[in-house]
Amino acid sequence: MKKFKITGFLALLVLFLVECQKSAVFPEDQYDERLSAGVATVFDATSKAFGAAFPTLSTYDEYVHEKGDQVFSQTFVTAPAPIHSGLGPLFNNTSCESCHHNDGIGLPTAGDNRSSLLMRISLPGTDEHGGPVAVPGYGLQVQDKAAYGKQPEAKVNLTYTYQSYSFDDGEEYNLRTPIYTLSNLYTPISGSYLLSPRLAPPMIGLGLLEAVPESVIVAYADPNDANGDGIKGVANYVWDVTTKSIQLGRFGWKANTASIVTQVATAFNQDMGLTSTILPVENSYGQAQDDGLKDDPELPDSTLNAVKFYAQTLSVPARRNVTDATVKRGQQLFMLAKCGTCHRKTLITRVNVAFPAISNQVIHPYSDLLVHNMGPGLADNRPDFKADGQSWRTAPLWGLGLYEKVNNPGYYLHDGRARTIVEAIMWHGGEAEQSKVYYAHLSKTDRDAVLKFLYSL
Amino acid sequence: MKNIFIAAFFLAVIAMAGCKKDNTTNDQNATASTEQNVLTDFAGVLVNPNYQDIQAKALIMNNAIIAFNTAPNDVNLEAIRTAWKDTRAAWEQCEGFLFGPVEDFDYDPTMDDWPLNKADLDNLIASDNPLGVADIEQLGTTLKGFHAIEYIIFGVGGTQKAADITDRDKVYLASLGQSLYNTTTELRNSWDPTQSNNFTAQVINAGKGSTRFTTRKDVFLALVGSMADICNEVANEKMQTPFAAQDSTLDESSFSHNSVNDFRNNITGVLNAYKCQYGGVTGHSLSELVASKNTSLDSRIQAQISAAISSFSGITTTYEKAIYSQQTQVKNVQAAIRTLKETIEGDLSDFVNVNIKD
Repeated sequence: MKKFKITGFLALLVLFLVECQKSAVFPEDQYDERLSAGVATVFDATSKAFGAAFPTLSTYDEYVHEKGDQVFSQTFVTAPAPIHSGLGPLFNNTSCESCHHNDGIGLPTAGDNRSSLLMRISLPGTDEHGGPVAVPGYGLQVQDKAAYGKQPEAKVNLTYTYQSYSFDDGEEYNLRTPIYTLSNLYTPISGSYLLSPRLAPPMIGLGLLEAVPESVIVAYADPNDANGDGIKGVANYVWDVTTKSIQLGRFGWKANTASIVTQVATAFNQDMGLTSTILPVENSYGQAQDDGLKDDPELPDSTLNAVKFYAQTLSVPARRNVTDATVKRGQQLFMLAKCGTCHRKTLITRVNVAFPAISNQVIHPYSDLLVHNMGPGLADNRPDFKADGQSWRTAPLWGLGLYEKVNNPGYYLHDGRARTIVEAIMWHGGEAEQSKVYYAHLSKTDRDAVLKFLYSL
Repeated sequence: MKNIFIAAFFLAVIAMAGCKKDNTTNDQNATASTEQNVLTDFAGVLVNPNYQDIQAKALIMNNAIIAFNTAPNDVNLEAIRTAWKDTRAAWEQCEGFLFGPVEDFDYDPTMDDWPLNKADLDNLIASDNPLGVADIEQLGTTLKGFHAIEYIIFGVGGTQKAADITDRDKVYLASLGQSLYNTTTELRNSWDPTQSNNFTAQVINAGKGSTRFTTRKDVFLALVGSMADICNEVANEKMQTPFAAQDSTLDESSFSHNSVNDFRNNITGVLNAYKCQYGGVTGHSLSELVASKNTSLDSRIQAQISAAISSFSGITTTYEKAIYSQQTQVKNVQAAIRTLKETIEGDLSDFVNVNIKD
């Protein structure tokens, strides 16, 4: 009895002490560095590393993910057809996979069966929601392919000019500057128009990025550089077609898309000419190429949702070589160069009891999801809501070291102009100018350490 | 006395430990050389011969098309159909190891995209657009390859007659045959050890300077992943989609009624990959590697592959009919393939992860 009392008292005491403890995040060093995405991390460093589902999915969720995966890889064809019907009449490609090869970054070419580049187009000014102005007869995206007998909107031409540079120690690197033009316009465009290229981005970790609280992202924004560090960061607020409201933009190279479901519906509609309940109007509506079929929406909601769920539940590959001394040195240099100010290592997702895999996870996307001025070199000069003509969203760096494996040989930046990570770094300007200069003046050993760190991601 | 015993015991332990260590080193060397042999033979005994075979059969089909266009009669049409099925068999078997250039350079969708874009294809044939080989190469993947050829030579429901094939069809068919042969040539060359940048070198130099495979384990993981993928695709996509919808038009090779052969050849491809065999030649195999450390796992995998392949004999009609009239048999096949897939994804993957060190 006595024993029980003491035990009971001790238990109460412990409980009391625990209750009194303030909830806090564990210190960084108590986490496994390899877990880029908490429990949604997958230990896979093969060319299939970007295509793995969350390891913790239930049997039913796995089934839905699998269904989405099937749709993601299936080719769509012109209506009427017994299966996978509804492609076009105007489109950029025929399946999700034909742009997102291996769920990774695409190939920076236009017009081929494997091309992953598309062109956004708009007129100067802003529309009623503060977004880009659609071009009559073209909309906001150039579809450069069409069903048989229909005319593509235009042909996208891409040429590069090359320029060699060298680091202090004489090591050379070469930057290629793309020049984009449109030809074979199906109908003339009056006045000047703005063009911006977009390469299919990797699909990993989207569900986790969607689960980061808006307040966290906004807290890192510093639009007027109040802290005087030369780095601003703007939260892009965009018109979201799914909720018919202004929302925080998280996805896309300019963070112009608020949610995964909007991203998926837009890709189906704009890139493939497939209508859904979210976007039930063909991208060719009102144009000469319109198919005139009364078959919209072409995609069942279940299909759209399966693809949405697939994109939401693709995991992130674990880091490699995290204990390597050179990698650690590279990580220090990355921080010293202030790369980490925008490529923010750690974010925490919101609590979501209904979905443990993305609930309260400490993740390492190396992004703040804000848009930053990157200088004139990278600029598309086409504003997209609050992202001006020189601004781009901080690209998440998780998985970066596997691009070469997943998408042999691998490309970088919004239009794939960079063929190596070094080139991608050296394209940084604007708010990232100081960080780039810091890297450029490092010794060869230190530059290689930074690369080795980036390859470990 | 007691101390002597203890000393002796320690000596024995040390001696045993010593022996054990030697054995371990020898084991590791033996395993490493077995792994290397498996990779070398995978490229030399299976992949290269399989790709050469596809190319050779595509050439026969192309010649059959030329012969038919010269003398369009039902006998010559039948010759194309036979050649198509032969080429298809070799192709479906190589899907047991669908990684490398066949994926990287889209040789797979270029030859075997599905479904056929029938609406566009009918419009194209009805038009007067040029149909040369160069024009075909420019077309989308759903307007060329195996299934476009299949549509012309078999027709909907397999009812095509030589007399039904128009002059435009013949021009298109000739270009399709040549275009498919060109792709099979590119595929063959991509692994050919005598060509520059060949993939065989990437595989056999895994862990020894290969830019694609930093370790031998990477190749094995790619191989095992491909084996699981094709099982999943056959049981849960190719067979399941028309079966679940109860709609035979959703079946992949519905014009030729060749689907059951397609499925069986896919699983035969898994067998070839596991046993490293093609055209009657066998080499050092993944099976051998597994058996050297875990006989029961190897036996189980072999038994499950055999069970999956032989389960097809239960389907005694075309797959288009079987989804209505032989549903139990269809489910049996799916179950057998799913069992195999679970083993490949589970125990076999674990085996590779645990036992292949570099």
